[in-house]
Amino acid sequence: MATTTATINIASADLTDNALNITNTATLNKRGNLEGLDTIISATKTFTSTSAVDLVAVTGFTATAANKVYIANTGTSESDYFTIGIQSEEVGRLYGGDWMFIPWDANTDDDITITPSVATAMTAEYMVFS
Amino acid sequence: MATTTATITLSSADIQSDVLALTKQATLNKGGTTTGLEQTTGLNKIIYVSTANVLLLDSTVLGVGKAAKVYIANKSTDASEYLDIQIHDQNVGRLYAGDWMFIPWSQSDPDGNIRVKPSVATALPVEYMMIHEGATQTAAA
Repeated sequence: MATTTATINIASADLTDNALNITNTATLNKRGNLEGLDTIISATKTFTSTSAVDLVAVTGFTATAANKVYIANTGTSESDYFTIGIQSEEVGRLYGGDWMFIPWDANTDDDITITPSVATAMTAEYMVFS
Repeated sequence: MATTTATITLSSADIQSDVLALTKQATLNKGGTTTGLEQTTGLNKIIYVSTANVLLLDSTVLGVGKAAKVYIANKSTDASEYLDIQIHDQNVGRLYAGDWMFIPWSQSDPDGNIRVKPSVATALPVEYMMIHEGATQTAAA
């Protein structure tokens, strides 16, 4: 059994009148118990087309599981973005430097899709914990 | 202009043969700009006492196509308790006790609401926050 943690810190000195500083750490466990997720897929992909493609397909993953997915746009452009979706539903846009971290239940057809906004070599890195 | 950062750290000494130690910081800007997001719902806490599928964040016209960021955390300490997360009618995943998520939310259409469905009706605490570009104001009830 592996022990993996994911910590987030959201901070701002001037978003609100009082400083914002939220920190939360999750231990990544299998569904409904305290046994750690023990499989990781880690990859970096460069895209040169604006076509929507599967970034992570459900094939090989257990459905209704407590998987976690991290995706980052490693670019630096403030205008180029990846549109991230699950099946046909758009989740949001990752602009240069943005990242996301989600639970993913990998149910039937719930592939995670990615669509670059430009065809000029955009790179994403991602990890799947399952 | 506000400056807000979101930093993730992923760590494990034993999920693979090499130590996992990833840190990534994002500066939360308006879509397509280097101007920081300036509005927030603030950090909210709700204790759910029903397993009904309910609205958490309402997609609004002023938010469609924008670069909002959403943080949701299941603050339960019972490992079996979870929160199903949906965008529009699409299941995203389950936040088990102690789990959190952080997503860009482009509110792709006015019906692209974020909804949650607790697994139990016995006081499941949830914290959430949205940092955003704009939200349509609604009239007071």
